[in-house]
Amino acid sequence: MARTKLYTAIFVVLMVFSTTQAFIEQTDLIENAYWTAFGVIIGLSTIKAVLVAGYFQHLRWEPRAVTYIVLGGLFAALALTTAAAYSIL
Amino acid sequence: MSHGQDHGHDFPPMSSVKRWFVTTNHKDIGILYLITSIFVMLLAGALALVMRAELFSPGLDFLSSASGYNQAVSAHGLLMVFWFISPFAFGFANYIVPLQIGAKDLAFPRLNAMSYWAYLFSILLFVISFFQGGTFAGGWTMYAPLNIPTYMPNVGGTSVVLALIMFVAAVTMGSVNFLTTIYRMRAPGLRMRDLPMFSMSIFLTVWMMLFAFAALLAALMILGAQHLVGVNYFNVDGGSLLWTHLFWFFGHPEVYIVFFPALGVMAETFQTFTGRRIVGRKWFVLAMVLVALQSFIVWMHHMFLTGINLQIKTLFMVTTIGISLPFDLMVFSLIYTMIKGRIRYTTPFLFSLGALILFILGGITGVFLGAVVLDYEFRGTYWVVAHFHYVMFAGGTALVGGLYYWFPKMTGRMYNEFLGKLHFAVYFVGFNLLYFPMFSAWETPRRVFVFDTSMAFWHKIATVGAFMLGFSFFIMFYNLFKSMASGEEVGENPWEYATTAEWATESPPPLENFTGIADYRGGKLSFLSESEANAAASGTATDGGTATDGGTPPAEASTATGSGTATGGALATAEQALATRTVESEPEHADHASYWPLVVCFAGFLAFLGLSGIQQGGIYYGFAGAGGLLSAIGFVGMAQESFHAPEPTIAEQWPFANVPNMKLGMWFFLSSDVVLFGGFIGSYLFLRVANGWMFWEHELIPEAHVTFPGLVNTYLLLASSFAVVLALVAAHKNSSRGIVASLSATWLLGVGFLINKGIEWQHLFHIHTDAFPNGWNLATNVASSTFYLTTGLHAAHVIVGLIMLLYMIPRAMRGAYTGEDEASLEYFGLYWHFVDIVWLFLFPLFYIL
Amino acid sequence: MPVMAVPAGGVVADVVLAGAGGIRAPAEVFQRIFLVFLALGTLVGTVVITYTLYNAYKYRYREDVDPAPDAERPQMGELPEGGGKGKKLFLSFGLSAVIVLSLVAWTYGALVMVEEGPSQSAGQEELESLNVQVEGYQFGWDYIYPNGHKTSTLRVPVDRVVNVSVTSRDVFHNFGIPELRVKTDAIPGQTNDAWFIAEETGTYQANCYELCGQGHSYMQTDVVVMSQSEFDEWYSNTNGTESGTNSTQSPTGTESESGDHSEAIAR
Repeated sequence: MARTKLYTAIFVVLMVFSTTQAFIEQTDLIENAYWTAFGVIIGLSTIKAVLVAGYFQHLRWEPRAVTYIVLGGLFAALALTTAAAYSIL
Repeated sequence: MSHGQDHGHDFPPMSSVKRWFVTTNHKDIGILYLITSIFVMLLAGALALVMRAELFSPGLDFLSSASGYNQAVSAHGLLMVFWFISPFAFGFANYIVPLQIGAKDLAFPRLNAMSYWAYLFSILLFVISFFQGGTFAGGWTMYAPLNIPTYMPNVGGTSVVLALIMFVAAVTMGSVNFLTTIYRMRAPGLRMRDLPMFSMSIFLTVWMMLFAFAALLAALMILGAQHLVGVNYFNVDGGSLLWTHLFWFFGHPEVYIVFFPALGVMAETFQTFTGRRIVGRKWFVLAMVLVALQSFIVWMHHMFLTGINLQIKTLFMVTTIGISLPFDLMVFSLIYTMIKGRIRYTTPFLFSLGALILFILGGITGVFLGAVVLDYEFRGTYWVVAHFHYVMFAGGTALVGGLYYWFPKMTGRMYNEFLGKLHFAVYFVGFNLLYFPMFSAWETPRRVFVFDTSMAFWHKIATVGAFMLGFSFFIMFYNLFKSMASGEEVGENPWEYATTAEWATESPPPLENFTGIADYRGGKLSFLSESEANAAASGTATDGGTATDGGTPPAEASTATGSGTATGGALATAEQALATRTVESEPEHADHASYWPLVVCFAGFLAFLGLSGIQQGGIYYGFAGAGGLLSAIGFVGMAQESFHAPEPTIAEQWPFANVPNMKLGMWFFLSSDVVLFGGFIGSYLFLRVANGWMFWEHELIPEAHVTFPGLVNTYLLLASSFAVVLALVAAHKNSSRGIVASLSATWLLGVGFLINKGIEWQHLFHIHTDAFPNGWNLATNVASSTFYLTTGLHAAHVIVGLIMLLYMIPRAMRGAYTGEDEASLEYFGLYWHFVDIVWLFLFPLFYIL
Repeated sequence: MPVMAVPAGGVVADVVLAGAGGIRAPAEVFQRIFLVFLALGTLVGTVVITYTLYNAYKYRYREDVDPAPDAERPQMGELPEGGGKGKKLFLSFGLSAVIVLSLVAWTYGALVMVEEGPSQSAGQEELESLNVQVEGYQFGWDYIYPNGHKTSTLRVPVDRVVNVSVTSRDVFHNFGIPELRVKTDAIPGQTNDAWFIAEETGTYQANCYELCGQGHSYMQTDVVVMSQSEFDEWYSNTNGTESGTNSTQSPTGTESESGDHSEAIAR
């Protein structure tokens, strides 16, 4: 199927992004601008996750409601984490 | 009673004991839940009476010193909140919801049986805890650090944590089941907004359950790990607060999880017994939806005194007051429904009306608690106790009404109305004698048996009320028992103005619920024959997402199984599909019995029992080992079993048309797993903030903890995900060899992941530096604990996947999963990719940052 | 209760009095708000419940009388309609929302006041208040004064702001003196602050309000409120010693204001 090429391309991107994240640790960014590095690294992870969810888990081709279920869980987890962390700042 | 549609199939009749152990039918399971939960109510109620007896005078102390009293109050709370009230509601949900939506059963019948047996065995484990050095004695809120072994060394404490974990498993299985059922198995023409009020309330309840209980599970697993392997979470800086966040994030939605089914019962009985449609029904439903959503953003109002900052207290004060508003609307809706009614004071209505009044009282006192300055004084006092008993037990009151309401449907006989009214009278007086004085005695601290003599008078009244309330139940038991034997027989519908589908079939309903297929497309309920229904389906093209008619091949459309694991069900599906392809003309029949749910859950019970005392060794090793072995046998048995639970070919399925039940169920499960990991990752982040973000990395983590093993593991896992994708591609191409090769690659890469991790961990366990002379292991410090436990939970998920692969690869070698059969492969993939995605976040959080 | 004159800008015995400096004791604040809520709550509850029962009685089933035509009654198997008649509902809902929201908004000012302590609301530059560290343990309370003195009976002067910094040595407790309307959680590893003003001398009781183990029910200590002079006398005799405590551990990290113990003031 034509999709095999797409999957392979995504796999390569995933590998490259992961290597990039590890690489950032070697740069100065993580020493001088820790939270910027944090944002970049987590941002890369998020993109990777979206790729795996959208293409490998097929969410792109499922009814949108399925994505909403997962986003609901994600939102609940984030609400708890951020509010709790903020409460002790 | 009709057994007309009991097509044999080795399904024992209701009178046989065996039936009750193997049944997967929703009505049977509903009855099992009702009876079991009532036993729990008696136990927890007895504990309450013992407490109230001791509270008759301040300073009485006959419960063998404080430990006895603390055990009683904790067990009373835990049993009532978890093991009585929701299961009682779900007894009704199981029995009634499929009837109300026009379905023949739940989506996953064996999973449903598993929910029940897990529930039952978890109760057993709880009861055993009393004999293991005393049960958990830290309150139902289980605050830290009282909940850790340092302060609660008795094995019974651990057992309760494990019993609760087992209970959460039951609840999660139940939520996945009900959500899939309600979304995918409604009668054609029954849109989501048309759901009857009780089914609507259950629908929202299970949504809340799905996410809330996952947070509790995270808390419990961490606490269990602290008990069993000594991780440091709740004893470090921020640990106490971490528990309160995790617990109350669950705890607040929990109170609505408890109340919503009661609200649904109230709405149904108000409509039926006033003979008026619910006023502003659309707004009532919207209010319920709002409450369900808002329930997740109010939890810190249980924490106003924990030292959190003023801004967040203000925010949560606002959200808390905000959540009282939809309830105002619902209360008024019910009141206005009575206007121009023709109200019959039947027992169900009396209990619902009584519940409404109790809820109004409880709700008003809740507004007091929402004003933070007042809450500062009410915290930890009987004001809170009185408030929550008024609202929660108001829910219980409505559910008792539900029991009277649906008793004729379930037994085919009418209860005695006079005794019912008598029950209500004694109940209502007893209830208020018990709880109202608590407002006068509100200064009494919670969970004490020593209090100021100025309050003794009120407590005496409360004790009298308690016994009166307890006694009233015996009127009910006598009534129901006698009526089951010799009550007046009823037909389909003994209640004038009832509208919902359960009243349109026999009492009790036949095995598959209705004669004919329920259908609402004509604007009201009608029953079609199979051919009529098919004809109607191919004729109409509604945008309501009616399932396809003849488009999908029969094998795929009709098979769905109800096992607990994705692969179990998926494999049985494949098995069944293989079978039906060769015997195409075989008529569909549904299975209703399996003994595997019982076996698996009993095995789980043994395993947890073994775990509870594992540090003491001896017989506990035996239990754990036996449990582990038996559950392996059970899961395989369940997967091999050919269990047929057909998905309806014609149903309202918006917004999940074309998403088969198994797939949808898997997605619901994965979403709760997101929250579970969210709880673990969130705990790590919270503790890291509490202990100093950078300090953590510089002082608590050894230099030896480097990024490279994590990166290698990331490569391995990503490659394994890719391999699964390739397996699916091979399945499309009908290449058995391709499937086997890809799945084997997945397996090898997964094993590589574990080996690499093992090497890494071994290395870290054995470092000897100045900072870490004894290595960096699970119990070294909070950083090590969070690292090993979180990545360990992830590794456990990997192991489960690998075990599933061990089952799938041999079958693939024999030709399974090719062609249209690839569904189970796809479901496995969903799980495996999820595990991969979690790692994509664990890697940076625990290695790089 | 006599209000003593406040010497402006004085150094010694420059004390803060309830009412005089515009500071209201949390106890007063609570009492007022509680009574308003109680009155309104009782009123609303009575009205709503009476109205409910009235309707339940008025529209009871009578064989011969049907207040509405049959067509408006629920029919078996019907699909629910949109559910009109929202107007009356929204009126009641709106009214109750207004009541509830204004009640809570009204308490917000008090919340800020209690939260930020008397310094903000009094507007005085130097505030002389008594700071006491409170340590909860299984199963009692230790009070540690600025001079290092540790006791298991809390002694405070009347009409003076008392700041308590509360923590725990073991599990999660909660410290509260009900009659003086002060309460806060006692959490191991962190310190929570609260404050109160005792407006009458006498003996009160401090309790534990969070289940903390077997001795939870017995975890009470006395709180003695005495006149300023009596307090000064007692305090100057303490000299940084322990007296009558049950605890076996010495206080950690308390700095004693060494030197002048006759100085009854602590910051």
